[in-house]
Amino acid sequence: MAGEGEQMVKLVSSDQVEIPVERKVAERSMLIKNMIEDLGAPGEEPIPIMNVSEPVLRKVLEWCTHHKNDPAPTQDDDADSRKKTTDIEDWDQKFMQVDQEMLFEIILAANYMDIKALLDVGCKTVANMIKGKSPEEIRKTFNIQNDFTPEEEDQIRRENEWAEDR
Amino acid sequence: MGKRSREEEDEAAAKERPTKCTRSSTDDLLSKLSDELILRVLAFLPVSQLAVCQRLSSKYHTLAGDSQIWKSHYYNRFVRPRASRLPGLKELDDSSHSLHFASKASRWLDDEHLVERGRKTNWKRQYKLRHNWTKGTCAVNEIPVAEEAAVPPLLVQMHDGIIYMADQTDGLRAWTAQGERKLIAQRAFEKDHGPPTALAIDTQQHPEPTSTLLVGFQDGAFAMYALQVDEEKFVPRYGHEASSNGVVSAVAVAYPYAVTMTATHLMSLYRFSRQADKAETEMLDPPRLLYSLKSHNVWPPLSTSLRKSERNITISIAYALPTYLSGWTVGIQEVKLDLTGKLLDSRLASAIDQHYRPLAFSLPPMMQHLPLPVSGSLATATMMEMRHIHSKPTSLSYTHPYLLVSHPDNTLTLYLVTSNTESLCISAGSRLWGHTSSVSGAHVAARGKAVSVSRRGDELRVWELEGGFASTAARKRLASGELSVQIRAEKRVMHEAAQAGLDLTSVGSAAPDKADDGTEDGAAELTLTRGWIGFDDEQVVVLKERSGGRQALVVYDFT
Repeated sequence: MAGEGEQMVKLVSSDQVEIPVERKVAERSMLIKNMIEDLGAPGEEPIPIMNVSEPVLRKVLEWCTHHKNDPAPTQDDDADSRKKTTDIEDWDQKFMQVDQEMLFEIILAANYMDIKALLDVGCKTVANMIKGKSPEEIRKTFNIQNDFTPEEEDQIRRENEWAEDR
Repeated sequence: MGKRSREEEDEAAAKERPTKCTRSSTDDLLSKLSDELILRVLAFLPVSQLAVCQRLSSKYHTLAGDSQIWKSHYYNRFVRPRASRLPGLKELDDSSHSLHFASKASRWLDDEHLVERGRKTNWKRQYKLRHNWTKGTCAVNEIPVAEEAAVPPLLVQMHDGIIYMADQTDGLRAWTAQGERKLIAQRAFEKDHGPPTALAIDTQQHPEPTSTLLVGFQDGAFAMYALQVDEEKFVPRYGHEASSNGVVSAVAVAYPYAVTMTATHLMSLYRFSRQADKAETEMLDPPRLLYSLKSHNVWPPLSTSLRKSERNITISIAYALPTYLSGWTVGIQEVKLDLTGKLLDSRLASAIDQHYRPLAFSLPPMMQHLPLPVSGSLATATMMEMRHIHSKPTSLSYTHPYLLVSHPDNTLTLYLVTSNTESLCISAGSRLWGHTSSVSGAHVAARGKAVSVSRRGDELRVWELEGGFASTAARKRLASGELSVQIRAEKRVMHEAAQAGLDLTSVGSAAPDKADDGTEDGAAELTLTRGWIGFDDEQVVVLKERSGGRQALVVYDFT
């Protein structure tokens, strides 16, 4: 009882910084969970997280620490748990108040480290940045290059008119 | 000094923030994500915002049009809510995740045919189609079909995107209802049998390159044709001689079987022999008469259908039924035969059994038993029932288990038919309100989707009748008049529609005694095609008659 929960593991970021972390926290990441199971002797060997830099990894682990007692995700809730709401709980919302660069780094890290709940929070945050904006506002927000001619864009606008006035 | 320090500050700030600032102001970080991740983001957006995202750039046009995203919107909006309406599927509603993409549920709820087609489904297109149906939004187009009034009027049928028409002057014609709406085939009738009086298409036929038609004539003759869609021509397959049994009033075909129904109430079932050696263009040998039946209680308007399965053939005739005291109601005769024509079962049912107590017989004895004051209230109950008396139906449409009847008094009645091994019965009718003028035609299709048209042709309504009114939710919708939505033309064709509307009113005022004269009503209602209306997944087609008898097909396109 005492052993498993407080057992520590060592993670190594892409820039070679070693970060010790509670095993339970690290195992929010399915990638790490699988690696630990494969290694057999957790806690001794450091686990390399190849694609994630130190600041991002620390941020991700901060999220994992807060959510370490969440119920484990089930296998088949992929389509379903993502109910069509973009509601984000308060703590997560505050957690996601970062600049765009960090936001997308978190999404990439969550995707790489296989932390579905965090990935969803990240994607919902981006979706909320899109919601209610005009195309021009969205382009400005994300610096998206418009490769349509005005005529083409207007054509698409007319084709989609039925869906916009809901 | 102050200036300098500010510069220093700026510099310091520039040292700290520039990378962040410049990067996030010039780099498109969102687009750098993999398509999979962008789709994950877009999946959280509502339909209206997806439409906006399609305008961002060609990359987002493709991604926000992703079929899987639209499929899940389609399921959430159109499929899952239906679960609660279907009896027996309710328990699935609670544990909603099992329903989501579960194959068993989707077999019931999904539009099976979308999957069956084997083509890749464009879910955005399907979503738009359903969206437009629920909103009643569509484009309106007209196909002029006859310059002069045909007597009897044109016969029209619609199946699989093709509109079939038969009349004496022009013979058989077929139009594509999709795309440019052109005439694809035309053929005059071989012999002069008088005007055609009944037309049916084989809807069970697969595969589709040809479809089989059966035409009945005034002199009792009938003929079978095949439409070769690819070669755009009608090919005669069989011609039956005139018969003394009189006008053929209804036909049905499910090759190799064919049913005819004459005005003298004689129903005949024929079977064509399988002739593998004959090419599709050759004439067939005369069919064998398998069964015939004389029925004395079948009145027009009626609807015949022929269903064949591996073991047996079922012929259903739904008809309007006059009763002595309570006006008109509906009845169904169902005849089941084995493949050689041996009668297995013949059953009759009418809505009168459950709906109307035979007033003349049961009331007087009841009155004797009851003290006077109560008989007074009974009288009011009788009055209530009398008010439900149906006038003669203007049209009747039967697609099992839905039997929909339209009335001249602005209403429709929906009956649910139960047909199983033990019994055949028709539920009590439910009145459907919504129209503001006389209803001349209605058509119900699978899943309880129905379309009705008013006599003037100016009011079309789409109904969702699935599951009948057994549930309280459905009754609530019935009471609040939320069952139907009026079809209205889209903005861009408003001008055209307005003109059509004007045209119609001017017809009404210029010749008020022509179409709207009450004395003509009886005759008009007897004609089977007046108020003909048909629809498929994408459009509603209505046959309209203008001044001088000019007839046109009006296509309401929901795509």
